[in-house]
Amino acid sequence: MAGKQILGDDPFGTGDAPAPAAKKKKEKKIESETAAENAAESASAAASEVAHEAAPEADEDRDALDSDGENGTYAPAAAQPPSEYGPSIDQPPVAKHSGLVDEIKHLEHSVRERILPARSGEHGGERQRLPLEFLWKRWRELAMRDRSDVVDEFGRDPNVAARVEPLLDFLYRQYFRVSTRGLGHIPDDGRGLIVANHSGTLPYDGAMIMYGIRHEHSAHREVRPLVEDFVFHFPYLGTLMNRIGGVRAAPENAERLLNQDQLVAVFPEGIKGIGKLFRERYQLQRFGRGGFIKLALKCDAPIIPTAVVGAEEIHPMLSKITWLARSVGIPYLPVTPTFPLLGPIGLLPLPTKWFIAFGEPLYYNAEYGPEGANDRILVNKLAEQVRNKIQSMIDSLLKERRSILFG
Amino acid sequence: MPYPPPTMSTPKKKAAPKKKELVKRATFDPEQRVVAITGAYSFMGAELIKRLERDRRYYKVLAVDVRKPTFPLHKTQFHKVDLTLPTADADLAAIWKREGVDTVVHAAFLSSPTHAAAWAHELESIGTMHVLNAAAECQVRKLVVWSQTIVYGAHPLNPNFLTEEHPLRGDASRSRYVKDKVEAEKQVQRFRKENTDTIVTTLRTAATLGPTIRNFATRFFARPMAPTLMGYDPLMQFVHERDAVDAFALAVDHDYPGEFNVVGEGVLPYSTILAMMGKVPLPMPHFLAYPLSQALWATQVFDSPPNFLDFLRFLCVADGAKARRVMGFTPRWDIKTTIQDFLGLSAPVAQVVEGGV
Repeated sequence: MAGKQILGDDPFGTGDAPAPAAKKKKEKKIESETAAENAAESASAAASEVAHEAAPEADEDRDALDSDGENGTYAPAAAQPPSEYGPSIDQPPVAKHSGLVDEIKHLEHSVRERILPARSGEHGGERQRLPLEFLWKRWRELAMRDRSDVVDEFGRDPNVAARVEPLLDFLYRQYFRVSTRGLGHIPDDGRGLIVANHSGTLPYDGAMIMYGIRHEHSAHREVRPLVEDFVFHFPYLGTLMNRIGGVRAAPENAERLLNQDQLVAVFPEGIKGIGKLFRERYQLQRFGRGGFIKLALKCDAPIIPTAVVGAEEIHPMLSKITWLARSVGIPYLPVTPTFPLLGPIGLLPLPTKWFIAFGEPLYYNAEYGPEGANDRILVNKLAEQVRNKIQSMIDSLLKERRSILFG
Repeated sequence: MPYPPPTMSTPKKKAAPKKKELVKRATFDPEQRVVAITGAYSFMGAELIKRLERDRRYYKVLAVDVRKPTFPLHKTQFHKVDLTLPTADADLAAIWKREGVDTVVHAAFLSSPTHAAAWAHELESIGTMHVLNAAAECQVRKLVVWSQTIVYGAHPLNPNFLTEEHPLRGDASRSRYVKDKVEAEKQVQRFRKENTDTIVTTLRTAATLGPTIRNFATRFFARPMAPTLMGYDPLMQFVHERDAVDAFALAVDHDYPGEFNVVGEGVLPYSTILAMMGKVPLPMPHFLAYPLSQALWATQVFDSPPNFLDFLRFLCVADGAKARRVMGFTPRWDIKTTIQDFLGLSAPVAQVVEGGV
């Protein structure tokens, strides 16, 4: 009797109700136990009867029965105080079960009724047979919901790329308002090596070139930007770059891509380009060791010199702290007018107006052949040529530009 | 009954090699080959024996291990040789010479790291030395060695696809398990240079998954949870157990000198693999994960050495183009179907008949 009240009033034991009920239970221990033995049989029989009746019936009938059962058993029982000498005659016969054991049995039965509604039903039957398999399947579906189970061999996940697309779209059209020229210089098919200046602390320029060619070029080609190690192995950022199409800058990777007739974007300035100070903007740094020239000669790929203007002002870096950054494993810590003064907000790029110009393709392979890749002096000379070409493209774009923010 | 071949049953044949004792090298008869397999109790050795048992081109198979294979053997002789013993090479050479072995398959390697590092070194590095000594002594026609793609090591400078010519940087990781395998490979490379008459094939398998194989990868992916390093999500590749055995059978059947990566089609990010398998990822920052893993390994709570975290951080994906081009090895399972078969979610892609006895 007392047990019934515990469950009926306060099923989770949060209120004050259980305390007096428990006391009463101690006092009437013997009576309730004998009563329980008698009542248990009738109650469980009644419950099982209810269950058996419910099972073959239709859904709405079962619902109705469930609610009936609840009202019949719990609500009146909670309202009535337990009588001192066993159950009163007025009580409905369904509520006759007494004692905690019976109460739990009844509860279990009704819960089971709710979880496994019908053995004949399609889903119910499946769930009853394989409860864990079902949960496992749902968990896997949940885990796979925004990723693809097929990625390309360099790790581009089409689902993740599609999710980042709106952000790139916003950056390209609204934020940086990129205007491109010379898109006709990019071949509609076949390999090509896009060589561009690099800047901007975070590699926005690669993403914008990728987005621009995918959407504005007549053939909607995919560009695979080569990402330098520092960014590629940077937690989260590198993984994201890889999922949306970035490839680690290694000669083997670039060769493989070019031999598959893909477009590859390289930034030969590398980490020196990203870390340019504001006063050094639009002054091209040394073009690495000319690896991109070797690639172009070896794979017979045309070089498309590309100038990106506007990107070098998004993070006006006044100075960089190297001694602190080295200790946490990054090459430098930028100091801009807003960072680290404003914290992470200071890392927001300045909304400058961008121009991307693609130059005429340079066919060095036709001139020097693949064996030219072994001629170090020639490679350096050609790298310097390309650098001068891009520098002059940048200079002419800068001359046309009147405002940093509005173009 | 077609098996065993008629030549085998008579006791006269046992005397035959004795006459040939002066001939240093057994004459090669493509229809009557004798294959010796070290590590016969391991998955790769046992599966290969099962196939050779069914193949009438092979006259005899010599199974070398410390434990006898559990399936019935018809034309396979079991020889108990412990490769860690100092005289193992002489024992092997005596047996192989007596039986006229023409092909040796060396698969006596560990498939998961062990805390008994000294014993593992004796087995993998010194054991390989014994096998190579015996092979040189008997002038065997062919040697097939099992290796794994982990010998390339998960290095930040790895390209997306490691070819066979790539330097083996696995020993840079300070992991004894990988280091022993690299040492074994280097010995095999030296053997290849010194014994130009012997065809030496090295098969580097990627992490092998399948419904029956038990190794480090299957144990790792059988747990409900898997550690991940926060912000790192490298691409991974697998090979199905049947495909791996196929590659070994190809290398034993035909002559393909050189090193080959035996890998399945396709790659997937680690996080996607965990999601497909329904595992709960346990993300940890890498600077905490390494010491934690070191502590768990040192106290023998966990079965993967700390250096294995590199494989959850950097790329170690091998290029299977050479095996496809030269050996004609075409994996029947790609990464997705391999994972599904490992989980028991789908029927195998092709009807598998070669494994049964």
